[in-house]
Amino acid sequence: MQRIRLENVCKRIDGEIILDNLTLDVPAGQFFALLGPSGCGKTTLLRLIAGLETIDSGKLFLGDEDITHQPIYKRRINTVFQQYALFPHLTVFENVAYSLRIKGMRDDVVKSTVTDVLKMVRLSGFESKHPRNLSGGQQQRVALARAIVNKPDVLLLDEPLAALDLKLKEEMLLELINLQDKLKTTFIYVTHDQFEALTVSDQMAIMNSNGAIEQFGTPKQIYEFPVSRFVANFVGNTNILEGTLHTRDGKFMVEVEGVGLFSVYCPVEKHWMIPGRRLYLSIRPEKIFISKKEKEGFSNVLYGKVVNIIYYGRTTQYHVKLRNGIILIVFEQNEEHIPLETIDYDDNVFLYFQKENVVLLEH
Amino acid sequence: MNFISRILADELPFLFACPALLWEVVFLFLPLLVLIVYSFLDYSVQSHAFVITFEYYKQVFNSLYIQVIINSFILAITTAFICLLIAYPVALYLALKVKKQFRTFLLFLLILPSWTSLIIQIYAWFFLLEKNGVVTHILCNLGIISQSTHLLNNYFSIIIGMVSCFLPFMIFPIYSVLEKIDPLLLESSADLGANRFETFKRIVMPLSKPGVYVGLLLVFIPSFGEFAIPSLLGGSKMVFWGNLIVDKFLKSKDWRSGSALACIGILLPLLIIVSSIFIVKLVKKLSSPNNQQRTNKARDVWS
Repeated sequence: MQRIRLENVCKRIDGEIILDNLTLDVPAGQFFALLGPSGCGKTTLLRLIAGLETIDSGKLFLGDEDITHQPIYKRRINTVFQQYALFPHLTVFENVAYSLRIKGMRDDVVKSTVTDVLKMVRLSGFESKHPRNLSGGQQQRVALARAIVNKPDVLLLDEPLAALDLKLKEEMLLELINLQDKLKTTFIYVTHDQFEALTVSDQMAIMNSNGAIEQFGTPKQIYEFPVSRFVANFVGNTNILEGTLHTRDGKFMVEVEGVGLFSVYCPVEKHWMIPGRRLYLSIRPEKIFISKKEKEGFSNVLYGKVVNIIYYGRTTQYHVKLRNGIILIVFEQNEEHIPLETIDYDDNVFLYFQKENVVLLEH
Repeated sequence: MNFISRILADELPFLFACPALLWEVVFLFLPLLVLIVYSFLDYSVQSHAFVITFEYYKQVFNSLYIQVIINSFILAITTAFICLLIAYPVALYLALKVKKQFRTFLLFLLILPSWTSLIIQIYAWFFLLEKNGVVTHILCNLGIISQSTHLLNNYFSIIIGMVSCFLPFMIFPIYSVLEKIDPLLLESSADLGANRFETFKRIVMPLSKPGVYVGLLLVFIPSFGEFAIPSLLGGSKMVFWGNLIVDKFLKSKDWRSGSALACIGILLPLLIIVSSIFIVKLVKKLSSPNNQQRTNKARDVWS
């Protein structure tokens, strides 16, 4: 269990800038997720930490130790690769025992350690099998066991569940969380799947397409209070409206052309929150209440026409066209067998939402 | 019609293979059969009939022939292992270090010598190594050898010729297995704490074993029966199995003895290979009798 710190790290590959002056501090003993779109440089970042790539400039610390120039095989950091990279000529046992054998551990110590770890990932009994005879999920577990058997300070996971089907993925996510809880190792989990990142992490960072960290925080902070349009869009679904900021009686209001004036609430005032400035509003679809009837107690209301209904079982998604042609997405929980009111195509509806649930974003 | 066309479609691969099969049968298997029949038959003057005899095989068991077999065996083994020593680093370099776009070109350079006939290649070495040849001249001027040293007509020149001719047969199979090794395996080995040497020992070497075995076979078998290189570069001082067969057929015109020797020349390397596989298996099994993991590993080497 160690913290990982990157200071002003730059990396070019074939002349192309992948990471530019990146600084990141991953706290010790946490499940940390690095979320970013494909090709944003998050895998490169992971490879830098692992030691598979060299850092052009900047520094990398493991705890307080500068490991910028430490060769890969000396780092107390192990990786679970996306393609598993199991050794095809070795059995499950020998795959897991690999790092122990290199250390020159005694046979009986190796045997008991490997047996323990295989038990931990629920692969007891598979010792003498070869990787090619295992299913994807089992291979995944072997890769995991192989990476944790040596008790690394930091475990890196590069999209480890990308090749698994949804059901298995959810199962493995829970197992990973439990495992991290037990081991207390610092986990760095790289993914482009926001669902995985939100599920597993204690803390997470969002990386944008330019290889820069946009936001750092708990999953809840990032989901509820995104700091940029990119984060709001990338993590979860959201509705983005463009408007102009106004103040009335010291309170902030946003005017969206052709739709109306909304009262908004900002817990923290930012430097760009100046009346007259253009900005974005982000409203999560599940935070909008849809109804055909007039309701009391909401700070904001919109009018629109239902253009699309997608039934998901647990929720229903409505696409509502506003007067200015913008389409808003609304999620409604299907709480009752028979809903209190049926909303159908082309129905005129009210959309209600509270000002606390609107997030203001810089233009 | 439909029926016929369906049969045609089903058997198309076979039909395409027919010319090649025919070629093999007429020019390889039939002569081989003639050879085998010849080696067992004798014409009896008394009964005016052919009788089956092992007489021609029995003559192998004289000390001269056994010495020749040992010569050939040592030559083949030496050639194979020198080829392995040279080929492995070359293949390793090609597969892991050279960029993909240059590989084809370098591989092309490797097979380029094989485009000339074997005899020409041997003569090239002949002119390089002879008394007034380039190699002798350079080594003399450098003071490495004296004027009176003979580079030609000895075991050294035979080995040089053998290795240079058979080297591609070792490089290609090893290269082809090394090239298939996923670079990610090497990365993950390093990630798990192995330095380059450990990674080579534990990952690269075991994974390249099949290529090494194929290479050894491809070099060992033809080396055993090789006759042109030893007789041209070795000055016929040492006799090898191949020379013996050629002599029987062409010089003594003793076709029956020649056939018997040829059959033995086919069987013996096969026997050596099969028994060596068996011995390796046995040794591995005996060295770790109680370890389930180990015996599995030994089995996998050959599966």
